[in-house]
Amino acid sequence: MNAALSWPSERWPEVIIPVAVFIAALIATLWLRRVSYKALTRWAEKTKWQGDDILLQATRGASVLWCIMVSAALGLAVSSVQSRWKWKDLSGDGLWTLLVLSLALTAFNLADQLIPQYGEKFQFSQRTVRLTGTIVKAFIIVIGILLVLEIWGVPTSPILLVVALVVLIAALAFRETLPNLLAGFQLSTTEQVKVGDYIKLETGEEGYVRTIDWRMTQIEGLDQSTIFIPNRKLIQTTVINYGRPIKKAKEAFRFYDRLHLKELTGLKAKNLRELADILKNAPDSIVYYHTHNFLEEHHYLTPEPANDFALWVNDVLGDVVLGERLASIDAFEFPNLRALSERLVNVMEERLSSGGEFRQATEGREFYFVKSVSVILPTPYIAHDLREFLESLRKLSLGSLYYHIFESRLRLQKATNDFSVWLEQSLDEPELADEIAKFDPYTFTLEGTKSQLIQLIEKRLK
Amino acid sequence: MRLLANKLSGKVIQNINSTFSGGGVAEILQRMVPLLIELGVDARWSVIKGDMPFFEVTKKIHNTLHGRPDQFTQQDISIFNETSRKNIEEHNLVGDIIFVHDPQPVALVERKKELGKKWLWRCHIDISKPNEEVWDFLQPWVLQYDAAVFSAPAFSRPLSIRQFFISPSIDPLSDKNKELSRDTIDAVLAKYKIPNDKPIILQVSRFDYLKDPVGVIQAFQQVKRSIACRLVLAGGTAADDPESDKVLAEVMEKAGGDPDIHVLLIPSGSDIEINAMQRAASIVLQKSLKEGFALTVSEALWKEKAVVASAVGGIPLQVQNKFTGLLSHGIEGTAYAIRQLLGNPEYAKWLGKNGKEHVRNNFLITRHLKEYMLLFLSLDRPEDVIYL
Repeated sequence: MNAALSWPSERWPEVIIPVAVFIAALIATLWLRRVSYKALTRWAEKTKWQGDDILLQATRGASVLWCIMVSAALGLAVSSVQSRWKWKDLSGDGLWTLLVLSLALTAFNLADQLIPQYGEKFQFSQRTVRLTGTIVKAFIIVIGILLVLEIWGVPTSPILLVVALVVLIAALAFRETLPNLLAGFQLSTTEQVKVGDYIKLETGEEGYVRTIDWRMTQIEGLDQSTIFIPNRKLIQTTVINYGRPIKKAKEAFRFYDRLHLKELTGLKAKNLRELADILKNAPDSIVYYHTHNFLEEHHYLTPEPANDFALWVNDVLGDVVLGERLASIDAFEFPNLRALSERLVNVMEERLSSGGEFRQATEGREFYFVKSVSVILPTPYIAHDLREFLESLRKLSLGSLYYHIFESRLRLQKATNDFSVWLEQSLDEPELADEIAKFDPYTFTLEGTKSQLIQLIEKRLK
Repeated sequence: MRLLANKLSGKVIQNINSTFSGGGVAEILQRMVPLLIELGVDARWSVIKGDMPFFEVTKKIHNTLHGRPDQFTQQDISIFNETSRKNIEEHNLVGDIIFVHDPQPVALVERKKELGKKWLWRCHIDISKPNEEVWDFLQPWVLQYDAAVFSAPAFSRPLSIRQFFISPSIDPLSDKNKELSRDTIDAVLAKYKIPNDKPIILQVSRFDYLKDPVGVIQAFQQVKRSIACRLVLAGGTAADDPESDKVLAEVMEKAGGDPDIHVLLIPSGSDIEINAMQRAASIVLQKSLKEGFALTVSEALWKEKAVVASAVGGIPLQVQNKFTGLLSHGIEGTAYAIRQLLGNPEYAKWLGKNGKEHVRNNFLITRHLKEYMLLFLSLDRPEDVIYL
């Protein structure tokens, strides 16, 4: 006991020198660390790359451990104390353990900061980022533990076996997900498809990419529908990527469809005099029906449809000259139906005042005045920009096209057609609006009109 | 269409007519009602009860509304009123919209005051030049309806209620209109012993004076003098048409023993047979004197057949003269048109192709369904532009 108590007093230089070396080294390394970090932080702030900032932050805690380890190693190196417990060996193992733990801590911190940052950059969903972070951090912890056990001589084979088994089970459980996960990484790293892009698959699905998850890519269609596509399918199929949305409209364009009912008026004309007299006082709904009915019913036949008055005068009254004059009146030239109706009546009156013989319609072939009752209903298509507008236009029914082009202008008395009004007022596209406004739809079939409009917009998008 | 059907959710549409089979009205309802139900509309169909004397009177009403002269006696009125009274008392009226077809059940509207609801009268016949006495008898009932629907503008007359124009339609997927194999067509021709050695001229219609089957035979006899051909008159009888047997007897007499004239009494529901005959024909006729809409014309046009038809009723809406077919005005005109087409098969083919396109755009059941739903939805909306 006395020997034990007397040991420091006899051998104090063997203790005090290593301790002094340790303290001096610790002060020196901590000072060096402080100076270095200050300089490196200043330098990192100047660079655009954020990786250096993250690296500095991740190693800040671990670097204190490194100072302690270096100082302790120096202290041990100058110590001459011997013991039957080989405490220097134990201290060495401890230092190795500290080194492993500090490196694991650094890697853990790096993963904790780099994964969310790169997840955000590649626009992975929060869920994917969290899952990836958890997997990487678990991996670091497992490796760290295995290394520490190895340092202290604990057998690691059974643990490795358990880990391998867990990995195998996980691989089997996620055998469907894994290819999608890898495909998701591939999509993000190659940037073939990014969140916000408008894409179209060869199988017909199309829309805006809203998220790229660890399993699926979510696409929002123009009709607000949501389509989920497995990432693996997305990299295997042909995809047209139209890129990011372009200029947004102040107000979205809602496409409407138009159906119509034919309401009978009980009015009929047997000759030209009666036709002109009834037309003079006819409401717009009657004028509209008889100047647009042929176009609607025979839209597939002729690009230059006649009005019902011209057809009747020609076929039933046999007045070919008047029929031609009435047919040549271009509805596109008139701002409203009243003006169009007045022009039709004027031409009939001119013919009546020129005299001559006027035929009567045979029984059953009189001119029956019909009025058009339009029923307008919303479609699922809404356009917020020109590309959405174009894609909706491609899918639009002819009834809808008819409504926005013909009905809005003459019947609802808008300055031009609906498309031009929106393009100018909401999308600030006055040139395109003007081009469409000047386009005469009466000289094309409805399909032809649609195709012309598509071409104009495609040209603008290029 | 689903959107329109959704807007009708909660409403019961009750169709009422006089027979479940035979004639164009029953044929349309057989297709229309299941399709409306498929779209989610609560559509129903019921028929009124009537005995033979009642149907004889309603047949007379039908003919006289078409303008055929006949005596409408006090006894006819009594029979019609008596059966109508029974139906008014007994018929189960469950619809929110009660859609009455043709004159037979027209008097049911007497229950409008008691039940309220919306009442529509669907007139499938041409009443532009009716026997005034008969029209005066029916008009008080017609004017109680909220609206009337006609198959063509020319069928209507000035009324104080709203009137709509909705053409009838065909179902391209039905047995009567679907594609058939050559074997099926040949089998049907063999079944009815029609040799396929000469061009076939066909008229499909009930044996009815207004379809002028005798006039068809006369026109055929004129054509046959210069061009070898066969005539097939294929038709049936409807439960509400007691006159058809008499007409059939007259037709058989007129045909005599001519082996090139085939008068066939086809039972109701033989749609494949009718389809096969229309497809086997070179020319399809519809030489009616008066006509409702004549769906047989749309059926023939859908099969790309050259059609010769009278310019009556709804036929000019389907046959644009010299573009989707030829219109005629008499026996000689019909014979002339047939000769023109038999002599120019390319022209006949061109007319047939245009005809099919015209039917595709205007006379298919999809358009018809859409217009009926629009009609139901617009009953409370008098404006010219309705936003749904």
